Amino acid sequence: MNNTNPPTYRSAAAAGIASPRLQKSLHGLQDRFGKGAMEIWATMDDREMRHRVKDSRMNTFAHLDIILAELAKNVRARGGQVHFAATAQEAIDYTLAVAKKNKVKRVVKGKSMTSAEINIDPALEGASIEVVETDLGEYIIQLAGDKPSHIIAPCIHLDRNQIGELFAEKLGIDYSNDPPTLTMAARSALREKMLGAEMGLTGCNLACAETGQISLVSNEGNIRMATTMPPVLVALMGMERVVATLDEHREALHLLTRGAALQKLSTYVSFLGGPANADDPDGPKEFHLVIIDNGRSKILADPEFREVLACIRCGACLNICPVYGKIGGHAYNSPYCGPIGAVVTPLLDGINKHADLCKGETLCGACKDICTVEIDLPRMLAALRHKLAYGSDRWNTRQHNPIEAYVYSLWKLLVSNSFLYRLSLRLGWLLQRPFVKKNKMISKMAGLADGWTADRDLPPLAGRTFTDLWKRKYAVGRPSASKAQKKGGS
Amino acid sequence: MDSQNAFLRNIRQSLGLSPDEERPKRLFPALFAKTDTTLILQGIKNRTAEQQDELVELLKTNARALSITTHIVRTYEEAAAVIIHLVRTKSPEFTPTKHIIHHDHPDLAALQLWKRFDREGEGVTVHTTFSPDRQLREKTIASFIGITAPDIGVADSATLVQFTATGCPRSTSLVPSIHIAFLKKENLVADLREAYALLRERARLDSYVFITGPSKTADIEAQMVHGAHGPREVHLLLFCLSVVAETPNEAPIPLVPLKEE
Amino acid sequence: MTGAPVSLFIQCLVDSMFPEVGEAMVRVFDRLAVPLAYPEGQTCCGQPAYNSGYRREAAAAARHFIEVFAEAETIVCPSGSCVHMVRHHYPELFPGDPVMAERARAIGARTFEFSEYLVDVLRVTDVMAEYPGTVTYHDSCHLSRGLGIARQPRMLLENVRGLELIEMANSDTCCGFGGTFSINYPEISVAMVDEKITNILATGADAVVGCDISCLMNIGGRLSRRGEKVKVLHLAQVLAGVEGESK
Ligand code: SF4
Repeated sequence: MNNTNPPTYRSAAAAGIASPRLQKSLHGLQDRFGKGAMEIWATMDDREMRHRVKDSRMNTFAHLDIILAELAKNVRARGGQVHFAATAQEAIDYTLAVAKKNKVKRVVKGKSMTSAEINIDPALEGASIEVVETDLGEYIIQLAGDKPSHIIAPCIHLDRNQIGELFAEKLGIDYSNDPPTLTMAARSALREKMLGAEMGLTGCNLACAETGQISLVSNEGNIRMATTMPPVLVALMGMERVVATLDEHREALHLLTRGAALQKLSTYVSFLGGPANADDPDGPKEFHLVIIDNGRSKILADPEFREVLACIRCGACLNICPVYGKIGGHAYNSPYCGPIGAVVTPLLDGINKHADLCKGETLCGACKDICTVEIDLPRMLAALRHKLAYGSDRWNTRQHNPIEAYVYSLWKLLVSNSFLYRLSLRLGWLLQRPFVKKNKMISKMAGLADGWTADRDLPPLAGRTFTDLWKRKYAVGRPSASKAQKKGGS
Repeated sequence: MDSQNAFLRNIRQSLGLSPDEERPKRLFPALFAKTDTTLILQGIKNRTAEQQDELVELLKTNARALSITTHIVRTYEEAAAVIIHLVRTKSPEFTPTKHIIHHDHPDLAALQLWKRFDREGEGVTVHTTFSPDRQLREKTIASFIGITAPDIGVADSATLVQFTATGCPRSTSLVPSIHIAFLKKENLVADLREAYALLRERARLDSYVFITGPSKTADIEAQMVHGAHGPREVHLLLFCLSVVAETPNEAPIPLVPLKEE
Repeated sequence: MTGAPVSLFIQCLVDSMFPEVGEAMVRVFDRLAVPLAYPEGQTCCGQPAYNSGYRREAAAAARHFIEVFAEAETIVCPSGSCVHMVRHHYPELFPGDPVMAERARAIGARTFEFSEYLVDVLRVTDVMAEYPGTVTYHDSCHLSRGLGIARQPRMLLENVRGLELIEMANSDTCCGFGGTFSINYPEISVAMVDEKITNILATGADAVVGCDISCLMNIGGRLSRRGEKVKVLHLAQVLAGVEGESK
């Protein structure tokens, strides 16, 4: 999130749209996973489960102080160390201190969006520590010096040829564009890295307070490697990624793996609490859990947005969003992209800064339908726009567009007064006349409608509105008409 | 601890509570209330032979869809035969020589694998994860086959639940290229709900893992490839003492002559 | 079918740009002998302001609407998104004013989308319409997801003489309109409508039918620019037996 001068949402979106390769991948992704998840939800035996998990998430938040205290207590009872970090910087400082104390030269990372959120890599690298992403997609992104563009499938925007060229260049292998060959090349390269790292750095899908364990989900096994082979483990956890009991864990997991990849279960779900036994040949000798706020408590405090914390980062909303499906993940300029990113990024990193994320969707509602835990993202997008419309002290947000605000105050005048409203329609009809072409369409319009007419025709205002026609043609002979009508406007 | 106090104070404040008033867990019993699993546990215990066989069938079907090869074995000898066949026919991925490693577990000890290969002639070295062998890490890394005896099998998702314990470390099912799991039929449960009920009984375990099929990735053009970082093959030896006769094997048991004991 | 008249709420875009859709609706109701009224003070439901975050302004529009339709027993509108606005967002617009909030809720309960009213309230699925040709149907977002109306328009279409309904792929994927979104983010909007058009064209249908003129305006505007021949019709126009007179 700390990019300097990133491309704007619109320009990055346009770039994504212009890439046939990206369009093809996104189409394939949505066709398979978006539809697949909807199908699973529609045919699930236990129709209440999504609702239940959502309720349980919300109930957890209402008691988050108690549940996190319990989690910390139980992790410590297992010999783990728990650190609470109010800010990204605190989390970075702590992790760095652990690394330095253990003279760590290489960190292997399991896919962790929290680590991207707090932007920890530069700090580690600044301390001369090699940082290696181990999720294949993230590794490819790292080799390419690129950014992830999907929560679950980070390099969805790259195709096999690009990856083949990248591997030939960076890994020194013969060029191949065969996914199994490329995967095996990464397997060998990363195996060396993982077996020889002093520290693993992971996220946390869901911690369980009752048992004092974190759980990590992966298909590749990289997270198991990162939590098994290095002697030190640091797990970064957003403070909302916790459930109280194992029962709740099971249901959340049940939904997570289905929403994310249509799987009954991911290949690996690791449960870890505390360090390994002294005699074990593997497993971390030091186990650190870093619980991170970094703006989450502010979200927690606002009932309008608290719901977004229920997100379990399954990525399903990306797999259905028609906007994401066109523009891809880079336009969001955040580790969190797609519909969830459009809501959570402004909340974590500034509503004004990310105004385009608040406004750049159609509110079609597909993300709400698919969301594994029934989060009403469109409602929150509208609420974010509300903050932008008037500014908000609570969110330290200023009015986004005073001109737009002025236009809407004029609009308010018109829609509240039918006489003025009708007059303005008439005026508009007169003004548009030079623009109307022979085919009765407007193909070039100045001002507000310019965005519309760049690639679309606009039908003109009608010479006679329905209201005019009603009076002329239909009102007569309808004795009942006036009965339903109180007054003709204010 | 100071960071914790400030952190939790802030959460209470965000919740509109008095920040300094800690809320003790005991005042919120519903929060950690345990659902009653007695019935689930009883259900597992009282499962009839037919029901168990149904689970076996279900497991086999689900395992196949996940590229897990299931071998039904009726005796330790049969199990050993399958393993020997795999050791002989598969090639190591990272090393020139054949090392295999298995958990220090009674069921695996019963296979007597260390006796079954002629070290000189066949060049197969068999390791056991005895604790505290200081060289286990290297032995594991050198092994191309890791053999474990998972504690629970889940039919509905074809999942193996592997507990970490002394003599049963985490890397045996992870670092070698091929994972062979020996599962007794009686450790098979229907679904995750049952598995979690059993796990709750074992709440003190620090670490366990659910394993569902071989390691896989679809990060390159969404094409599924097995063997991203973990094992690229998983073989399940399902040990069924009483087996329905018509249960066909997923992979036929190879008739490998066992070495004289 | 007599009794209290149905008050027409003619969405602002229909009123000012597509009056023929309103007329078609009148024709259908006349054919069914449903008494009609048209409260002439009506303007806009306030949706554009609401979706842009301007809730005070949207509340003003809502207040006006509630006044204008105060005595209407039943309100029927040819736009899913406007009905969605009235039914689901009006009640949120008056925090701290329980009287208005209740009036908002009440008016939402008696406001219906056209196809919904025909099928669910009047229980009519055959309006004795004729339309010779093949059509495909676009599920607009607020209608299908917001109001759960997808079955009703199809039932009505299936009973139109001479009409063949060919479903398009992803009929419920957003067309990219999104109100001011279409103006502020035209590249994205057009990419989305192009995909919609691909799916429409793939059916080979002569016309695309929908229940929200805003989406149809978007689809139609793009089809026109691309020079495609497919007609764009509001459901009411099909049910009126009118073959897209002005298109
Ligand atoms: S918002 Fe919902 S669908 Fe999107 S990532 Fe989060 S949980 Fe998954």
